[in-house]
Amino acid sequence: MKNKLGLIFSVVLLLLLVGLIAGDLFFEKPKSQKNIYEYDLDELRQVDSSLIAYKETASFLIDGEAVYGLALDSDDNIYVSGRNKLWIFNSNGEFQSSMKVRGDAHCVNVSESGNILLGVGNRVDVRKPNGGLNNSFQIKGAKAYISSIAEKDGVVYIADAGQKIVHQYTIDGKKINLIGGKNLEKGIRGFVVPSPYFDLMLGRQGELWVVNPGRHALEAYNEKGDLISTWERTSMRVDGFGGCCNPSHVAMLSDGSFVTSEKGLERIKIHLPSGDFKSVVAAPSQFDAGTTGLDLAVDSNDRIVVLDPSRKQVRIFELKE
Amino acid sequence: MEKKGKKDRRDFINTCFRFAAGASLVGVTGVLAHKTISGNTLWQIDTTKCTQCGRCATSCVVTPSAVKCIHVYDMCGYCDLCGGYLRPNVKNITTGAENQLCPTGAIKRKYIEDPFFEYEIIEDLCIGCGKCVKGCGAFGNGSLQLQVSHDICVNCNQCAIARDCPSDAFSRVPADEPYKFSGFKKEKKG
Repeated sequence: MKNKLGLIFSVVLLLLLVGLIAGDLFFEKPKSQKNIYEYDLDELRQVDSSLIAYKETASFLIDGEAVYGLALDSDDNIYVSGRNKLWIFNSNGEFQSSMKVRGDAHCVNVSESGNILLGVGNRVDVRKPNGGLNNSFQIKGAKAYISSIAEKDGVVYIADAGQKIVHQYTIDGKKINLIGGKNLEKGIRGFVVPSPYFDLMLGRQGELWVVNPGRHALEAYNEKGDLISTWERTSMRVDGFGGCCNPSHVAMLSDGSFVTSEKGLERIKIHLPSGDFKSVVAAPSQFDAGTTGLDLAVDSNDRIVVLDPSRKQVRIFELKE
Repeated sequence: MEKKGKKDRRDFINTCFRFAAGASLVGVTGVLAHKTISGNTLWQIDTTKCTQCGRCATSCVVTPSAVKCIHVYDMCGYCDLCGGYLRPNVKNITTGAENQLCPTGAIKRKYIEDPFFEYEIIEDLCIGCGKCVKGCGAFGNGSLQLQVSHDICVNCNQCAIARDCPSDAFSRVPADEPYKFSGFKKEKKG
């Protein structure tokens, strides 16, 4: 009897030991542990709610593999460019049509004349208002990468993030000039573009506004390429732009204020024509962490239209009443 | 009367011992054969999986950790407002200790030309906490990355950091390709 008890005890002990070894070998231990070196961005992601002057009033999904660029036409129709495709929606977000594009169209613009301009790698596609291809030309240079495009009166302005310069072409593909090359005598410091976010737009008087992202600056040029105005705001806080290269995208309201979007701290803000911070359109909490490429446009009612590539959505923000 | 085919306890225990001895022999042979076939391997971090949890600094058996921040200069934007060098919410962009993100001051900032600054990692001071890596990834191009420095790593059979890594970013790599950082150049430190 005594032997039997001893044997049972030994077997139980052995099983327990085997169980412990097996548990250690085959089962994951919980790996939760406080990071004493935590880099806490939460404080920067917080925005005082009194600074948020806009609210999201509408949004719609885009059924595509990847979306990159956003533009509006004079009727507030919404154009979204993406992988091998261009989608067109009306101002209410109802799908109108789509057309095939050869490649990744990283930017799109619809000019006053109705021409649809697409930047695809180092290629510019000019399409007629009905979508038919009008012209296509390439930017020279091994590093050429078109990140933004605009057209006025037959002159095309092309932001080339790879070569850190703005090209000025005719709509037929004839080169006119380079804008923004370093020329300290003329007060031009040159564009600093550490990542492929290099936006431009045309202002209310037809002046060309170009983001100088590495300097957290906006620079205005006339059609001859002379620098006519500039402002910059470097700050990790809400009143400026932080990181290597911000703002990533810009648009302009009817009063001349700037709408800016940033990466790193995903947020959209309004800056006065002087460059001073005015208000927040959308705080980082309204975007997925890590979202980049929040392209912007402003419609005729000063609604701010945002392309959210992470959620593949067009999101519309309106001023709170 | 003895039942046919039924073993007594002694036979059963003997069989178990034989089986265990056989299994151990096969296992040891297998492990040795695997080591022979796979050749020399080293521990390394997959930068695409790394979440900069801070455990590289605390779990390594070597003090300070064999994990160091490396700088892939090809990817760097040479930013003035560097997210890897400066604390978030910094008021002045200066090299003052109060403005630096690195807890050990292991990053040296050097002016190149307007508006570019170069950032150099002082390996002896780096503890591999990954704070700068997170800052660079959040605001910059991700040119700062964590890697096991093989001059320091003692190549434990079971790496203590690999065991604690919550994202399974540690794996063994062939000794002739010892680094796994992302970037344009493949040599260590560009």
